[in-house]
Amino acid sequence: MALSVFHHPSLTLPSPPPQPSPPSLRPSPSNSLQFTLPAPRPLLLLLRSSRPNRRHSSLRAGLSSAVDSPPQTSGSQPEKKLILQVRDLTAVIAESKQEILKGVNLTVYEGEVHAVMGKNGSGKSTFAKVLVGHPDYEVTGGSVVFKGQDLLEMEADERSLAGLFMSFQSPVEIPGVSNINFLRMAYNAKREKLGLPELGVFEFYAYLYPKLELVNMKTDFLDRNVNEGFSGGEKKRNEILQLAVLGAELALLDEIDSGLDVDAFQDVAKAVNGLLTPTNSVLLITHYLRLLQFIKPTCIHIMENGKIVKTGDISLAEALEKDGYEAIAKPH
Amino acid sequence: MAAIAFTPQVQRPPLSLFSTPKTPKPKTRVSLQPSSSSSSTSQLSYDPFVHQLAESLDDSLPSSSSSSSSSLQSLRDSSVQTVLSTPWPTRKDEPFRFTDTSFIKNSQITPISRPPSFPTTPDDTQFPSLDIVDGFLVNLSNLGELPNGVFVGSLLELSDETILKRVSEFLSTSSQGDLFWSINGIGAPDLTVVYVPAGCRVESPIYLRYFANEGGDIGSPKLPLSNPRVLVLVEKGGEIGVIEEFLGGDGDKAYWVNSVLEVVVGEGGKVRHSYVQNQSVNAAHIKWTSVRQESASTYELVEISTGGRLSRHNLHVQQLGPDTITELSTLHLSAGDQTQDLHSSIVLDHPRGYSRQLHKCIVSHSEGKAVFDGNVKVNRYAQQTDGGQLTRSLLLAPRATVNVKPNLQIIADDVKCSHGAAISDLEETQLFYFLARGISLEAARRALVYSFGAEVIEGLPYPWIKTKVESQIKELLEGSS
Repeated sequence: MALSVFHHPSLTLPSPPPQPSPPSLRPSPSNSLQFTLPAPRPLLLLLRSSRPNRRHSSLRAGLSSAVDSPPQTSGSQPEKKLILQVRDLTAVIAESKQEILKGVNLTVYEGEVHAVMGKNGSGKSTFAKVLVGHPDYEVTGGSVVFKGQDLLEMEADERSLAGLFMSFQSPVEIPGVSNINFLRMAYNAKREKLGLPELGVFEFYAYLYPKLELVNMKTDFLDRNVNEGFSGGEKKRNEILQLAVLGAELALLDEIDSGLDVDAFQDVAKAVNGLLTPTNSVLLITHYLRLLQFIKPTCIHIMENGKIVKTGDISLAEALEKDGYEAIAKPH
Repeated sequence: MAAIAFTPQVQRPPLSLFSTPKTPKPKTRVSLQPSSSSSSTSQLSYDPFVHQLAESLDDSLPSSSSSSSSSLQSLRDSSVQTVLSTPWPTRKDEPFRFTDTSFIKNSQITPISRPPSFPTTPDDTQFPSLDIVDGFLVNLSNLGELPNGVFVGSLLELSDETILKRVSEFLSTSSQGDLFWSINGIGAPDLTVVYVPAGCRVESPIYLRYFANEGGDIGSPKLPLSNPRVLVLVEKGGEIGVIEEFLGGDGDKAYWVNSVLEVVVGEGGKVRHSYVQNQSVNAAHIKWTSVRQESASTYELVEISTGGRLSRHNLHVQQLGPDTITELSTLHLSAGDQTQDLHSSIVLDHPRGYSRQLHKCIVSHSEGKAVFDGNVKVNRYAQQTDGGQLTRSLLLAPRATVNVKPNLQIIADDVKCSHGAAISDLEETQLFYFLARGISLEAARRALVYSFGAEVIEGLPYPWIKTKVESQIKELLEGSS
C-alpha cells in the first residue's frame, strides 16, 4: 500500500516518513521544472509553482528530460515538501468522450495557496474533479503525483484518506442522512485509516463543537439532512465545516465564494484563512479578486481551453478584474 | 440487470386473449370476487380445495352459543357462503398476477384450534398492550389508565349493550374482501375490539403484539393457520393510535397468519395506525386492513414490512363523507428469498377529500420481489380532491424484481391529482459525495440504502418503535449485502 499521512489538527502524528520516489516523476528542488517568476514576492511561501509548459510538446514522451531542465535561481530557500505535481494531464467526459483537460501542468508545495481563474467552461472545475477521481471524467494522459503517490491509481475514497479534499461547487442533497452522522462516518473513516478507535457520538460531538464556531454555524445544522434544503451559503459553510473536521494537506476549493452574501462570504473566507497552516496547501478556484484579497495566494494561474496559459502573482487577478480575460490571455 | 415489470397504466390492460370484453360476474350473488377480476376461470367458482379448508376451519372452532358471540357466528355463516363460491386465487387472477400463493396451497394447512400456553414476555413500554397469540387474545396489560368509556378487549368479554350493538353493525358488512378475508371470517376464534367513545381522545396508543407460537419445522409440510381479527371503532371526534406488531416468533418456523383489521373512524375522528411486520422467513403473512372514514376524519398509516416468505397486505380505504384525510406510507424490504406485496385501494366519493400515499420498497436479494398495486378512485362527486401517490423502488441485486402498478381512476373533473413511479439503483452523485469524504463505497451504499427507507420510518409516531424498526432494517440490510 502506498503510504498515507494526513494532517489533522487534533491528532499527533509521527513525523512523516521519507517519501518514496516514484521513478523520474518527483523532481528534487534542485532540478525541478521551474521558471522564476518576474517579480517574486518576498514571502516565506515563495512560489515554486511550475509555469505551464505548453511549449514542451515532447514532455510526455520524455519526462526525465523535462526534469532535467535548468536549476532554478531561488535554490537558497529552505527545502519544501512537494505536495502535488500534475503533468500534462488530459481528461475527457466519460460519457461523450469530449476532451476538457488538454494538458494541465501544476506544482504545489507545502503551505502554498494557488488560485486558478478562468472563464466559464475553461476546465477549472473539471480539473478539481479529475484530481479527486470524479466518475464523470476519464483521464486519458499525463500524471498526477500527490505526496509521492500516483494519485490516478487511487480510488476516490483513498484520495480523500490520503489528505486530498475538494469542496463541491454544488454539493448534492442526501435525504435521510443527518449532517452529524455523515461527518462522523467520514471522520471515523480517517481514524480507522490511522489505526485509531472510532469516536462515539458524544466524543465526536465534543470534537466537532469548536469547529462549528469556525464557520459560524448553529448546532441545529447538524441534525438536518446533508445539504437538504440548505441555502447556497449554508452549503458552502457545510463544505468548509467538512474540511475543518477532516483536515487536508491539499484542499481544492471550487468556487467557495460564489453565491454568498456579504456575511457568508466573510465567514467562509475567514474560516479558510483559519484553516491555513504552514503545512497544508490550498488550490482555490474563483472568479473574483475579492476572495484573493482575503486569502493571499502564492500564485495565480489562468486557465483557458483546458490548459493553464498564464501564471503570475496577485497582479494577474487585478489585471483580470480590470480588463477581463481577453486582455490577459493573449499569447505574447 | 434487475428485472422490472412496470405497468403505469391507469386502466388495466386486457388480461388474456381469451377473455371476452365484458366477462359476466360470477353467477352467485354472494360472491365477493372483486368485479375487476375478469379471469376466464371465474365461471368455475367451486374449488374443492377451498371447500375442504373451510370445513377444517369450521371444525376447528367450538360452536359457541353464548349471546355475545352471535355476531361472530353470523360473520362465520356469511363467510362460509362466500368462501364456497370463491376459488383459490391463481396467477391468472389480476389481484394475484405477480404474487404466487401456491406454496400455501401446497402445504398441509392446519387451523390452530386451541388457545396456546404461551408465556409472553411483558413488553417494556408503558402503553396499554394486548398480546394476540395464534389468533387468540391471551394477555392484556396497562389498561388501567384508559379513559372512561373506552373498551379494549375480547368481544366475548364485552357486556356493554350499546358497544355490542355498534360492533355488530360493522362486523361482516364489508363487501371488499377476497378469499382470505372470508377465510378469516370463518376461522377467527375471537374478535378483539378497540372502542373509543365520542369526543374521547386517547393519549397513549394501543399496542397490539401478534405472536406466532405454533409453526412447522423447516422441511415439514405443516403450515399452522391462525386468523387474528381486530376491530377499531372510533366514534365521532374520538382519537387513538394503534400499533400492530407481528413478531417473528421462534427462529424460522413455517406458519400462516391470516389477519384482518377493520377500522371505523367516525366524523372528525382520527386514527394513527402503525403496522410493523417482522415474521419468520418461512411464514405466509396475509393481512387485510379495511378502513371506513366518515366526514372530516383522518386516518394515517405507516407500514414497515420486512418479514415472511410471502407477505401480502390488502389495504382498502373508503371515504364516506367530505373533507376526509388519508395518509398512507409503506416501506417494504425484501432482503431474502421473499415477496412483499401491497395491494391498496382508496375510494374517494365525496368533495374535498385529501389523500397521500408513499410506497417505497427495497429489494436487496436476487430472489427477492416486491409488488405494489395502488389504486386511487376519484369518483364523480369527489370534486376538489387533492390526491397524490408516489412509489419508489430500489433494486440492489441482479434479478431482483419489482412489479409496480400505481393507478389513478378519476371521474370527477375538478381535482388535483398526481402520481409517480421510479425504479432505480443508488444515485451516483450521492455515492461519490461519500467517497470524496473518505467513506468506503460499501459504507456509503449502506447509508444510502438505509436513508431511502428512513423517509417512511421517520413517519412512525413513537420513538421507541422507530428505534426498534431502525435496528431491524439495519440488521437485514447488513445480512443481505
